[in-house]
Amino acid sequence: MYTLYFKIAIRYLLKHKLYSFINILGLAIGIASFILIMVYVNYERSYDQFEGSEQVYRVYMDYLEGDTFVPGDAQTYNLIGPTLKEAFPEVLDYVRFYRLEETTFKIEDRVIEINNSCIADPSYFKIFNQNLLKGDVQTALKEPNSIVLTETVAQHVFGNEDPMGKTITVFRGSPVLVTVTGIMKDIPENTHFKINYLLSYKTMMGWDAISDNNKELNWNNNVYYTYLKLAPNTHMAALQNKVKASDFEDIPDERHNIEPIEDIHLYSNKPYEAEVNGSATRITFLTAIAFIILMLSWLNYINLSTTKSLERAKEIGIRKVAGAQKRQLVFQSLLESIILNMLAIVLAVLTASIVFPLYNSFTGKSMSFELSELANLLPVLGVLLLGMVLAGVYPAILLSSYSPSRALKGKLRTSAGGLHIRKGLIITQFLATIVLLIGTIVVTRQISFMQEQPIGSDLKNVVAIKGEILAKKQDSVLIQDFMTLFQELQKIPAVEQVTVSQTYPGDGYENLSSFMGITYPDGTEEGNKVWYNYEIQPGYFDLMGIEFLTGETFVPRAENYNNEDIIINEKFAREIGIANPKEAVNQKVKFWDREWNILGVIKDYHHFGLKTPIQPMMMRYALTKENLMVKLNANVNTTSGYQEAVAQLQAVWTSVFPESTFNYTFIDKKFQAQYDEDTRFGYAFNVFTALAIFIASLGLFGLTSYTCLQRKKEIGIRKVNGASILKILQLLNIDFVKWVGIAFIIAIPVGWYIMNSWLENFAIKTNISWWIFGLAGIMALGITLLTVSWQSFAAANRNPVEALRDE
Amino acid sequence: MLLQLNNISKWVHSGGQKVFLLKDINFWVHEGDFITIMGPSGSGKSTLLNVIGMLDDFNEGAYTFLEEPVHQLKEKHRANLYKQYIGFVFQAYHLIDELTVRENLEMPLLYKKQSASERKALVADTLDRFNIVGKKDLFPAQLSGGQQQLVGVARALIASPKLILADEPTGNLNSKQGEEIMEIFKELNSQGVTIIQVTHSEKNAAYGSRIIKLLDGRIE
Repeated sequence: MYTLYFKIAIRYLLKHKLYSFINILGLAIGIASFILIMVYVNYERSYDQFEGSEQVYRVYMDYLEGDTFVPGDAQTYNLIGPTLKEAFPEVLDYVRFYRLEETTFKIEDRVIEINNSCIADPSYFKIFNQNLLKGDVQTALKEPNSIVLTETVAQHVFGNEDPMGKTITVFRGSPVLVTVTGIMKDIPENTHFKINYLLSYKTMMGWDAISDNNKELNWNNNVYYTYLKLAPNTHMAALQNKVKASDFEDIPDERHNIEPIEDIHLYSNKPYEAEVNGSATRITFLTAIAFIILMLSWLNYINLSTTKSLERAKEIGIRKVAGAQKRQLVFQSLLESIILNMLAIVLAVLTASIVFPLYNSFTGKSMSFELSELANLLPVLGVLLLGMVLAGVYPAILLSSYSPSRALKGKLRTSAGGLHIRKGLIITQFLATIVLLIGTIVVTRQISFMQEQPIGSDLKNVVAIKGEILAKKQDSVLIQDFMTLFQELQKIPAVEQVTVSQTYPGDGYENLSSFMGITYPDGTEEGNKVWYNYEIQPGYFDLMGIEFLTGETFVPRAENYNNEDIIINEKFAREIGIANPKEAVNQKVKFWDREWNILGVIKDYHHFGLKTPIQPMMMRYALTKENLMVKLNANVNTTSGYQEAVAQLQAVWTSVFPESTFNYTFIDKKFQAQYDEDTRFGYAFNVFTALAIFIASLGLFGLTSYTCLQRKKEIGIRKVNGASILKILQLLNIDFVKWVGIAFIIAIPVGWYIMNSWLENFAIKTNISWWIFGLAGIMALGITLLTVSWQSFAAANRNPVEALRDE
Repeated sequence: MLLQLNNISKWVHSGGQKVFLLKDINFWVHEGDFITIMGPSGSGKSTLLNVIGMLDDFNEGAYTFLEEPVHQLKEKHRANLYKQYIGFVFQAYHLIDELTVRENLEMPLLYKKQSASERKALVADTLDRFNIVGKKDLFPAQLSGGQQQLVGVARALIASPKLILADEPTGNLNSKQGEEIMEIFKELNSQGVTIIQVTHSEKNAAYGSRIIKLLDGRIE
């Protein structure tokens, strides 16, 4: 009997190719999208999970703003770890990291740049549950001048030789000679704290690259990442309260706080994060989209199979007459559902695995697509598939409840209740589609809005050059070399301007200086806020296209002149109580126990990108050698032109600093890169919305083709009685228009609410104007009419005689 | 006595009024009868046949089939009853399009839970008896109307019913095909199968032993 059911199911699917195709395709697209999105979501959720990670917490700092504490810094003082361990028994251990962003290795004659590394306490291995492939966990980071490399870095640096015991000179401004004492496994990609190698904590004591105030234990310099290992079953909230209440450093407007390491990637977005973290909102949105798409394909399926099953009334009638019982009919229907869904799942998994490499490069992650990981999705998929399968049963129950003599007539119309259900399903589908459309429009608009937003500075054609100078030279000699470099660079025809700056817009917090505690011109002492500043040379503003509201840039005076002039932005002026920037010039502020003279006020520009509100910013004059900023001529505008210019820059750089590395950044690219995640999110939103609409259209298409078939006779009779094609089209389309209308009305508040909460993530945001809703509605209506009319036009155009003859 | 209908009435409500489809039908059938129900369109012939075949309910009266009070039985029992004793032949054949001739024949046996070997033997017998062995792997759409009705009759007979209910069995056939089907009925009847047919054709009615005339739901 089961073989027979199976046979019927297969033959039925083959016979009704369009119906099967639409159904399977819709389901497969839905499931494949769901899988792809959920793999990403799961990956984002999988950050920083290792054995014991639930006991690991990061210490961070809250700063008092007004009368509430807000998260202010992901980094802390080097004293907080030991202090917390001593103060609270539930703190079992701590590890401190001093981050080294960019470093250069020298091994004999070879020079290799290795970034993302740390100076760390020996407790690292225990807390982060890392084992060493070579070397001893207990001793590897114990002695000064020890280095532990990851497998990949060891391979990169030493090839197949045994790295243990080999020596490396690590440069970061100044060199330190270290010995390899261990090899650890590569750190997984899904961690917020990427590490390529570790230097022992004691290494910094003899290394000039680390300033003295970072070496001694103190409550002055919060530049350390501190992680705690807590005792099992520690009451997190209680400990957090104790940490917040304690005031070891005796500074009232800041306090320490703790957060689970597992939450950092999605929930933490503080200044000085180790890397740009993910976003829980984005994950929520993506999850919602995944479920909407799956639901759409599910509704599609229910709708199509319910409608289609009416056509099978005759078959069910015959079966009943032949003695089939309800149970048997339902079972058969169930089997067909299962077959259809299985085909869709197989197709979906196949599609997902084919698309996966592309997907990985798109998301910029290295996720793996393994069936074992899909198992995580099974509970969810299972529930939904169960729903789909049950959907197959519903029509069977409905039909088998008719008396066989009625069923045999083969012309069942659904009951009013059934019709309501179908209407509800279609309206839900439209609703989801319109909400997605609204979302797409808002997201796309917000992203282009951000990209087009004037940032108050011209980043085009500006290259920031940086390098590690390996030759051991005195600072005065180095500065002389920079002067030479300066002049040489300006001789290159492609170069318009050259200057030097500690950092630049889009470079983030990493290279900014900051301090707390300032005295305003009117004498007010302010101690709560963090003030950001950086060092530049006079030509910076001109080169960066930053305009002055008043005053002027620094004037280089006598050599060794200790310049105590500063240039501030508008926001800074307002913040220190000066409403009119013109009045700021020559006013004095006090910080670092010195008095500073305001030389000029620049227009506000976005230093951090548009997700962050404009911050007070201050520039100081110094002979910094951080970044050489080179502005290329406007006529350099092709890829080859850029390559050539960079080659020329590098040639000059190497001629002045023969023993060095050379790095360059086009800073407009780097600035835009801040929105990479958002752009990708927008793109993903577009793609998945398109897919969702496609699925919904498939369903509509199937439904109309069926309605037209069912109403063939009616259409024929109407046409014989003089109805025009247009009238018939109206007749067939009016219901869909009504449904879109109802869905549209519901979609407006839903869409507005959702997108408004998304926009809350941005400091600068587009408004949600009324036309967005109008556009979404018109698009939905347009797509609907197109899909529906394709079929109904053909039906309306048919010769009525043909339709009536069939009767 | 195979079956007996006492004061059977069936009605629907239309515009607040009771419209009788069947009114006060008294009717009995002995084993071996060949009965013809005749009457103009809308007189209730098919409805009566459906009631006898237990495909339709009725509103009033009593129906006894082989001593069982049908009107008091649950649906499941009723299904068992007709599964076992009644075979149907329809004007529109009502074969399942997705199944081959052989599978269409086999279907009623599946619902009677017969073993595979029994089913095979019965299907082979029936194919043989109706001379359609050569057609066994064809689908209904590949057969002529007469051949389809032949399969329909064969399917009605495969479970060896006591009673065959035929609703205009030759209605969609040409006269030659129709005659062949009627000959088969005649032969079955002579073997002891009870037949009730609904027809417009006087010629077909002549095959039967008793004629019941219906008008507006009543027996004339």
